[in-house]
Amino acid sequence: MQSDNIKIAIATLGLEAHWKGAVTVAQMLREFSVEVVYIGNAFPEEIIEVAIQEDVGIVGVSSLSGGHLALGRDLISLACKKNIKDKVVFIIGGVFPPNDYTELRNLGFDGVFGPGTPGEKIYNFIRKAVTVKKA
Amino acid sequence: MNQGKTTKQMIIEGLKSQRDRPVYNADTINKISREFEEWKNSAVSIENRKHYDITPHLLLGTDLPRGLVYSPIDIKFFDYGEDLGFPGKHPYTRGIHSNMYRGRKFTIRQLAGFAGPEDTNERIKFLLDNGATGVNIVFDIPTIQEYDSDSPAARGEVGMGGVAIDSVNDVELLFKDVPIDKVSVSLVTHYPTNTAILFAMYLVMAERRGVSWEKLRGSVQNDMIMEEVVRGGLEFIPPKECFRTQCDNISFIRTHVPKWNCITFNGYNLREAGTSAVTETAVAMANAIETLKELVERGHSAEWIAERISFFWDAASDFFVEIARLRAARRLWYRIMKYRFAADNDKAMLMRCHVQTSGLSLTSEEPMNNIVRAAYQALAAVLGGTQSLHVSSYDEAYSVPTEAASLVSLRTQQIIQEETAISAVVDPLGGSFYVEALTDELEKKILDEIDEIEKMGGIVEAINRGWLHKRITEYAHHENRMKEESAIKIVAHNYYKLGGGTAAIDVFRYRSGVEERQRQKIEKLKQQRDNTAVKKSLYRLREACLKHENVLPYCIEASRADATEGEIAQVFRESFGLWHPPMRW
Repeated sequence: MQSDNIKIAIATLGLEAHWKGAVTVAQMLREFSVEVVYIGNAFPEEIIEVAIQEDVGIVGVSSLSGGHLALGRDLISLACKKNIKDKVVFIIGGVFPPNDYTELRNLGFDGVFGPGTPGEKIYNFIRKAVTVKKA
Repeated sequence: MNQGKTTKQMIIEGLKSQRDRPVYNADTINKISREFEEWKNSAVSIENRKHYDITPHLLLGTDLPRGLVYSPIDIKFFDYGEDLGFPGKHPYTRGIHSNMYRGRKFTIRQLAGFAGPEDTNERIKFLLDNGATGVNIVFDIPTIQEYDSDSPAARGEVGMGGVAIDSVNDVELLFKDVPIDKVSVSLVTHYPTNTAILFAMYLVMAERRGVSWEKLRGSVQNDMIMEEVVRGGLEFIPPKECFRTQCDNISFIRTHVPKWNCITFNGYNLREAGTSAVTETAVAMANAIETLKELVERGHSAEWIAERISFFWDAASDFFVEIARLRAARRLWYRIMKYRFAADNDKAMLMRCHVQTSGLSLTSEEPMNNIVRAAYQALAAVLGGTQSLHVSSYDEAYSVPTEAASLVSLRTQQIIQEETAISAVVDPLGGSFYVEALTDELEKKILDEIDEIEKMGGIVEAINRGWLHKRITEYAHHENRMKEESAIKIVAHNYYKLGGGTAAIDVFRYRSGVEERQRQKIEKLKQQRDNTAVKKSLYRLREACLKHENVLPYCIEASRADATEGEIAQVFRESFGLWHPPMRW
């Protein structure tokens, strides 16, 4: 499978103690030849900094313990401030109440993924989204 | 004591020549073997003959091959006395109590914890009013990771996945009007360092209410595996110091709070992170062995400590494996205490446990199906002889449970207790060829893995080297692949899938305003308390950390002075230094 040089930064939001989702997605995407910069636990400032330094096309964050809206909002507004929101695809995965899926999209996440999402679905999504953003 | 020998060697030597109550004689086994071969070659279909053993692949599975049917030839050396015995008697395979659930029902211990202590206090009372017999407090992420609610790091996560606690005042609010001298309270303080802080606060709360520490019943988790391996996080202290804090807590609690379980070796969360029932049990027991060794070196008796330790296991989806694992763990722990620690006090040989049904097995698709999943898992835990149980709720693939969902979990347990007659008979599966064969095999595999860890230099070294981190990451990766390929079947998720199929359930709404309320309480606390006393107490804690004194009394002192959790934790980070855990990626 072709990766078309897709590069993603993956982080676990804030103090979140669950790492498995982020690592699993990182591993799945690597199998699709996506280049992964794995950050681990980080706050929005660090995530955006790494995204800029590494010149990634996608930022993927993981949250399972309820901090998704507050920290997600911070992440997106910082991305806007640093002028990368238009260039970089933002996706979030984890455990969210059903209504928050829409809310996260409204905040500016391009993709929102629940538990058990197949790797191929995420890969297809980001491949398409990256092309759209580049255009 | 027995320098140089591994636990496995000591057990094998100890078990020699004790097997004097064989259930089958060689003659019987030979006859049955012949009949088995005849049956297999004539009655069994060619396909099943060719694949007589199949290996079911399940979530958090153990990948044990299973035959088509089991008979005495699968347990030919079965010894009634050494392998099974009677309930409440050696080797405790059948249960730790003679009368089991007739004498004492398993404790219904549902997790509770969300928003602020004021809110969780209401949920605790709701559960107790509806027949829960124990309390199980879960903390929010900042509290678990040891940051105050007003820390920038805590932003957005205060009171989300559990209750927010910052100081003794919050602990007082959390247990307001809860009879702590009567109800057994489990505090899910995952890590040794947060146990040292939060349990110190609990003790100070009891003190302020005039309840003596001798009356308190319950448990803390206090497990280094949680702090160093299972969690993700920003800051970690070195494994050596983490292990030391774990042992400090045990030593102090065992001495001063005699009815309290000073450690709960937590297999559950390691399993959920990604591992089999075998590794889950082996790691918890390897930690227990090393802990007892350390406490013996500190001058305690291993038996005296062992009377107050407990285990926490996952009940995942492989029904008979989960049952057999609990039985195997009980027998193996007895053998470890007897042959490794030369114990002869019965109370010290009991593998007491709490079981939680697997959160990982819950799906977001058609969430009501989760009630069925959890009920089977709960049944396995009860057939396996657990002491207490938490049934995960159907909405947990979306959020912390609603009151309605918690009630279904509570009812699931009550239905098992009151409507199935399962509790009438002890260990109803004892003697089943299949269950006994699985029990033997699991015990053997668990002991082999304990041996592997000991040969590596013990559990602290296994963590230092990253062996355990690597093991669970690889397992999780492999499992995920099997899920994606539908080699692991999950109904309505990757098998028998309906289109759409999202929740038509009410889910928990996180309460707003909790962060602000906690923030205000901290601000007020810092204005009203004697800040010099806080500083002094923190300085003394620092000295204790550096001079290898037991840290818990100093945490109590700091809590009495109204130091916050974050302030105390900062002393740990500064005096122990930070450790970089092995990369998972």
